[in-house]
Amino acid sequence: MNKFLFIATLLLLVSCSSDSELEYQNIPINYQVPSNFPPLAYNMGNNPLTEKGFELGKKIFYDGRLASDGVVSCGFCHIQEDAFTHHGHTFSHGVGDGIGIRNASPIQNMAYQTQFFWDGAANHIELLSMSPISNELEMNGNIIDIITMMQNDSQYQKLFKQAFENGTINSENMLKALAQFMMMLTSSNSRFDKYKRNESGGTLTQMELDGYALFNQKCASCHATDIFTDNTFRNNGLSINPQIQDNGRYNVTEQEVDRYKFKVPSLRNIEKTAPYMHDGRFYTLEAVLNHYSSGVTDSQNLDPSLSNNGTLGIPLTDDEKTKIIAFLKTLTDNEFLTDSRFAEF
Amino acid sequence: MKFQLKNIAIAMIATLAITSCSNDDDTETISGEGTLKLEFDNVYGDANFAFNTPYTNSNGEIIKATNAVYIISNIVLTKEDGSTYTVPKSESYFFVNEADVASTLLSLPNIPAANYTKVTFGIGVDEAQFNAGADGQGDMWANAQAVGMTWPWTAGYKFVKFEGTYTSAATTTETQYKVHTGKTGDVYNYTSVTLDFPEKALVRTNITPQVHIMADLKEVIDGTTVINFDEGASIMGGTKVQNIMANNVPNMFEVHHVHND
Repeated sequence: MNKFLFIATLLLLVSCSSDSELEYQNIPINYQVPSNFPPLAYNMGNNPLTEKGFELGKKIFYDGRLASDGVVSCGFCHIQEDAFTHHGHTFSHGVGDGIGIRNASPIQNMAYQTQFFWDGAANHIELLSMSPISNELEMNGNIIDIITMMQNDSQYQKLFKQAFENGTINSENMLKALAQFMMMLTSSNSRFDKYKRNESGGTLTQMELDGYALFNQKCASCHATDIFTDNTFRNNGLSINPQIQDNGRYNVTEQEVDRYKFKVPSLRNIEKTAPYMHDGRFYTLEAVLNHYSSGVTDSQNLDPSLSNNGTLGIPLTDDEKTKIIAFLKTLTDNEFLTDSRFAEF
Repeated sequence: MKFQLKNIAIAMIATLAITSCSNDDDTETISGEGTLKLEFDNVYGDANFAFNTPYTNSNGEIIKATNAVYIISNIVLTKEDGSTYTVPKSESYFFVNEADVASTLLSLPNIPAANYTKVTFGIGVDEAQFNAGADGQGDMWANAQAVGMTWPWTAGYKFVKFEGTYTSAATTTETQYKVHTGKTGDVYNYTSVTLDFPEKALVRTNITPQVHIMADLKEVIDGTTVINFDEGASIMGGTKVQNIMANNVPNMFEVHHVHND
């Protein structure tokens, strides 16, 4: 009798687990906005964050089969330990060794931003993945083939069912899952964050504090809030590289007022995301600050904040630069860079 | 007298019959749901539209088209009493492709039976849909790619694609032109039109009206705003796209007639 009960219970358990394998699993992730952050820009109302949605998004993010060569996944150019940038690459190489003209941006705190890519090609976190997946130089993916691949893959069949109520394998749910993964890529535990939130481990040295004060004076009008961007497009006085002639925001709008403007990037984990600027022309933070103090050139639509009574750039002494760089390094968030939830392997 | 009575009786019966007949008509409760079809028939000015056929524009440029696709979206039908029926947003994005006859006939199921007098629709993808992200898009990205209507560098869709070759006094060899419209940065460029039906469309459980819409592709490039390809034959952004969507595209469409059978 006992034996019978045991077997019956076992059968019940087995049948339960095999049923739920292919059912929607609504296990919400309790996402908290860090107290020093601005409000979320992303309204998740139609895409509630769940364990399975995140897991599916992560699988898609690291799946090279999205690309035409079966190799170049999103994670190929967005590497966790480099704050999801392409370490050391001025430009990234995509499928067929195609080389783009822009430096891969970090993927972090996307849910707090309203403009994506250096030229603002997308302004919604759920839609932005359409660009790199389709771009001929990047992943050169064919969404029809991608969906077919997923429909024929037992793991995707299971995960889409578990992640979404309608369980459909289509581009809508694929984009939503990627958005859930990106939403979770929140960097908010640097030493600076802990300092702002009065948490343990949040001690800044006097030099870093001086650097923060200088930063607020000289940089924070564009690198605003604790996300460190105001989501605008500006010409920051980089000389125009005639071989590339990158028109920036103009490529999206074809309005003269947007020529040579690029998105103000976030500065989080900036120590880890070299090289810098839209074309990766500067290899060090020193080179970046030297640009602002003495390298700004005048070109169409130069940002007014970089031109004062005919003097170009931001006045900075060597001592001030050292202090600002010391401050910028407090934005490195090792918990984020090593968080195993986000890791490929 | 007898004769008169008989006459009166006949008259009364006849009256009753007529009354009852008209009563039937008045109280005929139209119920249930049916299907309505919108047919998009591309023309060029006063000629039928066909690929690789020369058409002369007002600026003297002669075009031969090879590709014509546009997005019809957000369809709303107006009944004779002024009330409206909105096709569910997630089922209301269509790619009308000249190269694919089936795609030019939009079949709208589950329409409440009624007499309809107008249709409103958008051309392109509206701001609300962009703000909703992927939500409600279903297979749209794949469907768009199948007809070359994705616009990856704005993470969105082409609204109108009109391509081919042109010649002019200055350009004597056939040169490719491309007109792509869509969202350009923060300018959404979505437009919508409302068209009156010349006769009512009677949607019934057993009647599927077909609304025959003429879509004049000449209006895209040779309308209120005239596009001169000699100034640049790749129209993919800026004020030209804004002008095409705001000034030209809304004038493309006209309901020619309605079939009720």
